[in-house]
Amino acid sequence: MTSLRKLGESYSFIIPSLIFTVVLGIYPILWAIRYMFYSYPGYGEEVFIGFGNFAALMRDEAYWNSVVNTAIYASGKIIITIPLSLVLAVILNKGLKGKNFLRAIYFMPTVLSTAVISIVFFNIFNSYNGIINQFLMKYHIVSKGIDWLGPDMAMFTSIIVAIWGAIGNYMLLFLAGLQSIPDDVYESASLDGANARQKFVYITVPMLGPVLQMIIMLAITISLKGYESIMVLTEGGPIGRTEVMYLYVYRMFFPISSSSTMIQQIGYGSAVGFMSAVIVGLITIGYFWISKRLNRIF
Amino acid sequence: MNTAPATKIAPLTKTGRRAKRLFSRLIVWGFLAMIAIFTVFPVLVTLFGSFKTNAELTSGATILPSVWHFSNYLEAWKQADFAKFTWNSLFISTFTTIGTLLLASMAAYAVDRRNFFGKSFYVGLQAATMFISIGAVVIRPQFELMVKLNLNSSLWGIIFILISAHATTFFILIGFFKGIPRDLDEAAYIDGCNFFSVYWRIILPLLKPGLGVAALFAFRNAWNEYILPLVFTMTNPKLQTLTVGLADLRYGTTAATQTHLIMAGACLSILPILIVYVLANKSFMQVTGGSVKG
Repeated sequence: MTSLRKLGESYSFIIPSLIFTVVLGIYPILWAIRYMFYSYPGYGEEVFIGFGNFAALMRDEAYWNSVVNTAIYASGKIIITIPLSLVLAVILNKGLKGKNFLRAIYFMPTVLSTAVISIVFFNIFNSYNGIINQFLMKYHIVSKGIDWLGPDMAMFTSIIVAIWGAIGNYMLLFLAGLQSIPDDVYESASLDGANARQKFVYITVPMLGPVLQMIIMLAITISLKGYESIMVLTEGGPIGRTEVMYLYVYRMFFPISSSSTMIQQIGYGSAVGFMSAVIVGLITIGYFWISKRLNRIF
Repeated sequence: MNTAPATKIAPLTKTGRRAKRLFSRLIVWGFLAMIAIFTVFPVLVTLFGSFKTNAELTSGATILPSVWHFSNYLEAWKQADFAKFTWNSLFISTFTTIGTLLLASMAAYAVDRRNFFGKSFYVGLQAATMFISIGAVVIRPQFELMVKLNLNSSLWGIIFILISAHATTFFILIGFFKGIPRDLDEAAYIDGCNFFSVYWRIILPLLKPGLGVAALFAFRNAWNEYILPLVFTMTNPKLQTLTVGLADLRYGTTAATQTHLIMAGACLSILPILIVYVLANKSFMQVTGGSVKG
């Protein structure tokens, strides 16, 4: 039967991919869902405790602190990155001299390793010999070095590093969206005497609406999940000031460095991971709902 | 700018208008330059820092080194074992790229050219893996699986996990498949090719541009990966990649942090990708830009 042979051929091309996806993509999720209900420190006995992990989670102040930090981190990053990258995209969408060169420059951070660049930023922001403080003191802008990675400034610094890594990416997404706006809309607006600012407010932003919504949603989920940069830059410290949700999850499974005293708890970690995924999901759905309603109003 | 000025304001003279345009242009260029400097700054610090002595790095506020110490690289290469790290990074990235391209192109071929039971389920599953993520949790079961398979003491565990995340490549390639006309397949079948040989001898060579772009992305992701190799090499420093080895230098158990070696190492890990990026800048822009359409 040729159709059966065809089916076999098709499947034989799918199966390698399917095996990898199921074994290393789906199975781990099911594994985590199972362990949410167990007390299991990673060795010895697994004890079924039902919703015990979730009850403990509700009382876990360190975790909820990390949730608050994640909210600060993500909103700080998004509030600055989105407008900035939109403005860059609008400027670079015109026939500006050297626009391709500038696009390449702005997009460059996206190509580099987050971990490595965070190590570099660690050295740049270092409080006593970092290049920023050296510069500020040399020109007498400050008399004493700013403790960029100290309790007061660490979150601010982490957000700066996050913005550095994100601007180019969103700029490019906005550029793609801008290219879908037909030129004649702008031309007719020019004929009606609209200036650059009016064109931006009344044409670009509304016409970019759907793309804008999608990009913001993407930005929200990505920033809520990000922890690699913070892990390298501050390890969540000092005194938990930059601890974010997924870094906290990570700590439950692996010791973060030799200095870490946190004990690994597989079962509890799974519950924390699940809760974090639910929080990200709820925020995304919430954002989606609000933006849909706003759509109807405008 | 505005050719019909608002009624209340007196119309600007010719020179006034020109001055205003120049002024707004200056603001725009200043803004663009500021962001560009902000973007390039850490890369320049790394590049120039990699030629400084440790003492100069910890005291000086200058960007350029006073004397260029090329020996930092030699020291990093030999003493800090960056030769080993580079090899490991290269090994992981190369095999991840090959594996990802093979898996994703085969699946994309079957999905684009054939209809079969469960096709939409398979595509949905791939899409789901891109969105469902419970972050660090999944690394634990992946790790334990590799321990059971005895792959945790080699780089293959990392490679397999990275290959398993091939959904993005799959969707990129599906896009490129649409551009290859089916008539070519038909002609090849008439000439006596079968399903496999059409894929291997007709499709893959025609898919080269798509494969090239996908390879760029897969290689970059593998090269830059940090958390997976970190987890897998915790008890096995010999398998560390550039990213992990660098971070380890910072937490260094040795007395003083050797910042000059960190900078040289950072350059070793950034430069290859940066060079590829400069050469293939167009491909990077197209794919990322295209992914938001629709």
